[in-house]
Amino acid sequence: MRTSPHLLQRLSSLVLLAVVVMGPLVLFTTGAHASNNPNQQPLYQTARRNAGTPNSDHVTKDPSTGAIISYGNSAITYSAPSPALAQLGEALYQQNCASCHGNEANGVPANGTSGAYPNLVGLGPATIDFWVESGRMPAADPRSVQAPRRFARLTHDQALAIAAWVTSLDPTAYPYIPDPHLKKANVAEGAALFALNCAACHTIEGDGDALAQSTFAPSLRNIPAVQVAEAIRTGPANMPRFTGNLSDWQVNDIVKYVTTEIQHPNNPGGFGLGGLGPVAEGFVGLALGVGLLALVGYWVGERQ
Amino acid sequence: MSDTHEQRTPVTLNGLSQDDPHLQPAARHPETVERVIAVSLAIGLVLTALFGYCFWVNAKPWTLGATMGGGLSFIGFGLVAWGKYLMPRGPFVEERHTLANSEQDRDAFAAAIIERGGSVVKRRKMLGGLLGGGLGVFSIVALFPLLRSLGPLPKGTLFHTDWRKGTFAVDQTGRRVHVDDLTIGSIVTVFPEGTENTDRGQAVNQTVLIRLSNENFVTQKGRENWAPKGYVAYSKLCTHLGCPVGLYEQQLEMLVCPCHQSMFDVTNGAIPQFGPAPRPLPQLPLYIDASGYVRSQRGYDEPVGPGFWERS
Amino acid sequence: MSNLATTRRAKKKSYGPYGKLGQTLGELDDRVGIAKGGRTFLDKIFPDHWSFMLGEIALYSFVILLATGVFLTLYYIPSSAIVTYHGSYAPLVGQKVTQAFASTVDLSFKVRAGLLMRQMHHWACDIFVGAIVVHMARVFFTGAFRKPRELNWTIGATLLILAIVNGFLGYSLPDDLVSGTGIRIAYSIILSVPLVGTYLAFWIFGGNFPGTAIIPRFFILHVLIVPAIIVTLVTVHMVLLVRQKHTQFPGEGRTEKNVVGAPMFPVFMAKTTGFLFIVTGFTALLSAFAQINPIWQFGPYDAARISYAVQPDWYMGFLDGALRIWPSWSFHSFGHTIPLEVTIPAVILPGLIFNLVFLWPALERKFTGDHAMHNLLDRPSDRPKRTAAGASIFALLAILFVASSTDVIANFFHVSLETVLWSMRVLTFIVPFVTYPITYKICKEMQGTKGAGKRKTANIVTRTEQGEYVATPAPAYVDDQSHELMPTEVPTFITATETETDDPGVRTVER
Repeated sequence: MRTSPHLLQRLSSLVLLAVVVMGPLVLFTTGAHASNNPNQQPLYQTARRNAGTPNSDHVTKDPSTGAIISYGNSAITYSAPSPALAQLGEALYQQNCASCHGNEANGVPANGTSGAYPNLVGLGPATIDFWVESGRMPAADPRSVQAPRRFARLTHDQALAIAAWVTSLDPTAYPYIPDPHLKKANVAEGAALFALNCAACHTIEGDGDALAQSTFAPSLRNIPAVQVAEAIRTGPANMPRFTGNLSDWQVNDIVKYVTTEIQHPNNPGGFGLGGLGPVAEGFVGLALGVGLLALVGYWVGERQ
Repeated sequence: MSDTHEQRTPVTLNGLSQDDPHLQPAARHPETVERVIAVSLAIGLVLTALFGYCFWVNAKPWTLGATMGGGLSFIGFGLVAWGKYLMPRGPFVEERHTLANSEQDRDAFAAAIIERGGSVVKRRKMLGGLLGGGLGVFSIVALFPLLRSLGPLPKGTLFHTDWRKGTFAVDQTGRRVHVDDLTIGSIVTVFPEGTENTDRGQAVNQTVLIRLSNENFVTQKGRENWAPKGYVAYSKLCTHLGCPVGLYEQQLEMLVCPCHQSMFDVTNGAIPQFGPAPRPLPQLPLYIDASGYVRSQRGYDEPVGPGFWERS
Repeated sequence: MSNLATTRRAKKKSYGPYGKLGQTLGELDDRVGIAKGGRTFLDKIFPDHWSFMLGEIALYSFVILLATGVFLTLYYIPSSAIVTYHGSYAPLVGQKVTQAFASTVDLSFKVRAGLLMRQMHHWACDIFVGAIVVHMARVFFTGAFRKPRELNWTIGATLLILAIVNGFLGYSLPDDLVSGTGIRIAYSIILSVPLVGTYLAFWIFGGNFPGTAIIPRFFILHVLIVPAIIVTLVTVHMVLLVRQKHTQFPGEGRTEKNVVGAPMFPVFMAKTTGFLFIVTGFTALLSAFAQINPIWQFGPYDAARISYAVQPDWYMGFLDGALRIWPSWSFHSFGHTIPLEVTIPAVILPGLIFNLVFLWPALERKFTGDHAMHNLLDRPSDRPKRTAAGASIFALLAILFVASSTDVIANFFHVSLETVLWSMRVLTFIVPFVTYPITYKICKEMQGTKGAGKRKTANIVTRTEQGEYVATPAPAYVDDQSHELMPTEVPTFITATETETDDPGVRTVER
């Protein structure tokens, strides 16, 4: 039975409509992280200015006080520590931090005998959480040029509590504590971004190295994902603050790259020699290669 | 004399008998050594065959290396031990012959060249000169295709970048940098719009954009309006050897070149404070347009990157 | 000769006294005439002191380089064309990389035994240059470069330069982030040459940096031009060695006019072939268990990217160290710049050092007035001035090498970068000047001490009945005494008649 031309026309225009409407949607969603030009993604073009702050992201507010509890998107969700912890946090702060940073967390300016102890008000919970949970604070040696990563003396909850109290002093301080959604991250994007933005200080292998005037870029081998995201957004110590120039998707990708490839590198060729590159390879080649072979030569030849 | 094998009794020419100590193996117990060598060669054979198997089943790379390496090493040890312990221990001697020939031969050789050649050229010095001249010129011009054909003349290429009046600064994704993008202490690598994905864009035009403050920042006299709203831009090409100076320490306000650790003070025109870099990083004058985008006022005032002869 | 041929033809069906193999050798001799020369060659005596094995390590590493290199050329694509990587290594998937880089990553992950070949090639290169340096040091400190071997010394020094250059070209081929940075630095060094620098750089690279010509050019230099020169020079090196015969240490029965050791066949061939297998085996073991140059972790080269803690391969390290410690003295006037902070450490310094190396035999001839032939080697302590000078130059190069990892040292020892750099600057001047007198003194002491370098035997202390202590030296260790026989000629295994001609290669055989 032949279909009438009228019906055919209708069907075809319906199909056309469907393609025109659904097509871009399909392309948009599936093409999100698999474009053939990883450096020009449609999503990244809409990267937020001052990313890491609640610009137009999905924002959750506390119904009673109106304070922002969390904000974020499909890449990273930023949450504030619960204000209920603030009281405990104040007590912990007075015990552990006030001796250097002052009773009101205002910091102490540099004087003749010591450097400055920074003002913590307005730094945001992510900053506080990063420094405390990575063990850098409370500082073991307050006079050192750069506090190194150490075994954390305060627990995760205690760190959150202190962050909650410092946030209560200035609730508009951002960013909040990030939670990267690594399952949606693209590790190849992360690799490219890491090479451009991070490798200059932390080395391409993520081992860190000495910088100017006794500062250093720490190794990235043992850092949880949250702290990587915190460091990128807050720029601790001499690390630059990557805010508007990296979108949350880009930060998520970098975090995924660091926590997978950097921390669990693919070393199919054998022992990784510490990732130190040609220096280590040269020592091994000379000592083990030429050295051992020269010893074998000592056996092969005579000793006259 | 018969041709059969058994009747051939080797007798040495220079009086060595079969029992001469020079012909005996060096090992005190050759049988034991032979067994050890046999074991070594056997292990080598097994391991080498195992390499074949590992290759066949596409096993991990370390197994391929271990089996081949172990196999060859054992075979090698066996062979060396055979030569060292089981073969005639010697030592043997050989006379060195004087390398030099007799005076007569040397004279003949020299004469062949000098006398014979000289007699031909002697009265034809002009021919010799012309020939020499021709060969000399040829040896020089023969170099031309090996040099000039390889590439273009430099001319003014090293003196210019693609930054012009009003060029938008974009990051590597092509996104234009807006004045609200960076906070104090941020750094981003920027390129002239349109060049971010080209070789030249990355190699020559690469520029670091750093935010030092929220107000206009003056790095040096004469550069009062070069850094609007605290956005300061320097060429990313190190003036030492051209490495990208991507290492920024925000509290020290210092750019450090990762290659040879030259340190540039960002607040006073990237003057080198330490390390082998001889000149400051050239600064790019910027302005913020009406929509808030960061743009260059013009190109760099001097050639970027390492030094060269024509750079005045 | 002709009656031999008729005898052979007459007994065509039966093989000679040496069976089918002898027959074949005879056929070969008919066509090529190798019997006499071949016999002489097989009889050649090789002194086999262990220090003569060092050159063999270099030779066999080169053989490994050739073999693995051929494998690699079958898969590597020398092109700067941009492709999208779609292989098995996730962090690179979708990135735009050059074909050179992509093909190298595929070699590492996709080609069966590809990673092993890549690693063996790179390890063999590090060992090759290391062995050349150690071999060169042995030749230098024992005076083996003296007449008649000055030409071989020159060839060897050239081989060292070529090996270093080829190594640099080779590790730059994958076009990864680390080696690409090295190419950028090389471009700037060429640029720094006064007068012609910009022209040379634009011609070698086909334009401004980076261009697309440099990877294919490096490739053809690395696999064809430089290896051809190396093979030629190595051949000449070995031919000269065979013709002039190897040097030897003085000892029992060893004079300037003879060579004592093992005959080429079978002893030396067995040992050297075995050593070839061992060198290859050790290189393979190293390649199995120690990763080298993981370019997939570095990512592709991008002129705007850089990693910290980047150094060149160890044999280029002295250049990198010199560049780091040299102060920023740039000469700038009359409208021109001579970037001395680059030209001096990267062009003039290596030029001076290599010129010194090339000129050393002539300089030593001039300063010692010694124009005699030398086939016996010196013990290093016998020539204190030469040994001390060599040690100083070595120390200078070693310090410059250490200076190439100032940041790694600063990080490892938790010292500031600036302190390390200044220390290196100071050490570069002090260490060579201090090494000379110390080495000189050590040599002089060794010359004066009896039994220097040998094991000291114990003193047996006995007590007499009166309570006096007497110390007598113990007898020498059994192993220290030489059990060597006086050397004798190589046996020939053929019955001879009384007619012996002057020419040792001719034997009249009576059947």
